[in-house]
Amino acid sequence: MSEQLTENEDSFPVKKHTGFKIWITFIIALILIPLGVYSYFIIDSVRNYTNTVKAQAEGQSTVNPELFRLMKDKSWLESRVKMAASDSVGLAIDLENQTIQLELQGVVVMKSKIRDYLVSGFFRQMEGNVYFNTFGTPMTILSLQSSIDKNRFKVVQAPKSAEEADAMSAKKDSVSKQDVYWTVMLDRNIELNIQGIDSIKDAQSKYKFGQDFSSKRKIKNILSSLRNMADLKKPDYIPEILISIPESEAKSILYALPQKPMITIRI
Amino acid sequence: MIKHFFITLAVLIIGILFLGAMIIFVIPNIQESAYILPAVSTAQADSIPVGTEKEKLEQEIADLQAELDKYTPTDAFFVVNTSSNHFYLYVKNELSREGICSTGKNERLVIDSTKREYVFYTPAGVRTVKSKGKNPVWAKPDWAFIEDGLPVPPKGDPSRFEAGSLGAYKLVLGDGYMIHGTLYKRFMGQNVTHGCIRLLDDDLEAVYKALEIGSKVYIF
Repeated sequence: MSEQLTENEDSFPVKKHTGFKIWITFIIALILIPLGVYSYFIIDSVRNYTNTVKAQAEGQSTVNPELFRLMKDKSWLESRVKMAASDSVGLAIDLENQTIQLELQGVVVMKSKIRDYLVSGFFRQMEGNVYFNTFGTPMTILSLQSSIDKNRFKVVQAPKSAEEADAMSAKKDSVSKQDVYWTVMLDRNIELNIQGIDSIKDAQSKYKFGQDFSSKRKIKNILSSLRNMADLKKPDYIPEILISIPESEAKSILYALPQKPMITIRI
Repeated sequence: MIKHFFITLAVLIIGILFLGAMIIFVIPNIQESAYILPAVSTAQADSIPVGTEKEKLEQEIADLQAELDKYTPTDAFFVVNTSSNHFYLYVKNELSREGICSTGKNERLVIDSTKREYVFYTPAGVRTVKSKGKNPVWAKPDWAFIEDGLPVPPKGDPSRFEAGSLGAYKLVLGDGYMIHGTLYKRFMGQNVTHGCIRLLDDDLEAVYKALEIGSKVYIF
């Protein structure tokens, strides 16, 4: 009897300790298992994306590197000629020569040197027919988000007297310093991010967007990832291009672009 | 018991932070890793003959470049950036002069009583110089009086005509828009005009001399 009691007394703390260990293991598993499954889904979504793109691309996939370079030049010019036929301002991004330029009816009206850029691995891997299928014709913007209002118009009530007009002209608008960055979704499922940065050091750090934009982006990513995990849904893979150019030029380009501009890219 | 509670809590917090860090920093890098991204095309085509294909491509590139070059005027043309308020004068496709200007203030002036409105901006696009003139006289439109809170005089009233305020030259671009000078030099480089493009005296003279009737003006 006394032996049984001792056994029970001894086993009680051991059982409690084991329960705690199970609980901790459960929490860790609760975090690691969805993370593992989600990582697998993410990798799979990249593979699916590239396979879909490959399946959609017509023509020869294997191209001699020398010919490939020439075909890229041809594609770049062809796309710009198509853009020149339009009445509106278009954007031509040449990552090979690190320039970004605004073109109006075929005339380069503004040219800026790209300070730094980053592209998704997808673009580094693409060759032949996939490249021409993606960049062979100008792209258009599906949606645009920017840190500054693209619409610069302000509404002013006409003064009722000369005194009121004098008072209005004496009132000056305050000019606040704002980060300039904008992000667009292109019709080929590519996200283009342009940030205005005046220091080369800043340009070399990834997503050196303003604090507000950066935080919103992180929160959006976390929420969509958690939603996908909860729904056991594969996330979408969207290849990205991030370009850093001088701030005033980023602003000029943003204001100059019409609602649905054409964009040509060479990588 | 309390110790276990805190350990559980710590594990939970660390786990959540770990999850967040993985989502923000690690997973995007895994996604971008070359190991995960399959080659979009497995091109190993060094052996494909280049010869005539290369020549054909080079010819096509030269033709396309020539086609694109045709869009750029061979005579003088003028470019205006309404965001930075800078102008660029090109002669024979070479940048001949650049400097500051003033362009439209991007404003809607609304008259309460009539609900009528005037829009002051420099429209983007391509225009041509319609006419040129020296010592222009400004025929003040209705909005010039409305904006100053003054009664609008009848058409042809002498108070509508003002000499000297547009500088020594004008280049008419149509639809009421002009390139001209200004008395308000302190506002140069700012969006302050009613849509016209204001230049400093020396720049205006150079632009007046370089641009002919029919010369193109690119505004963005």
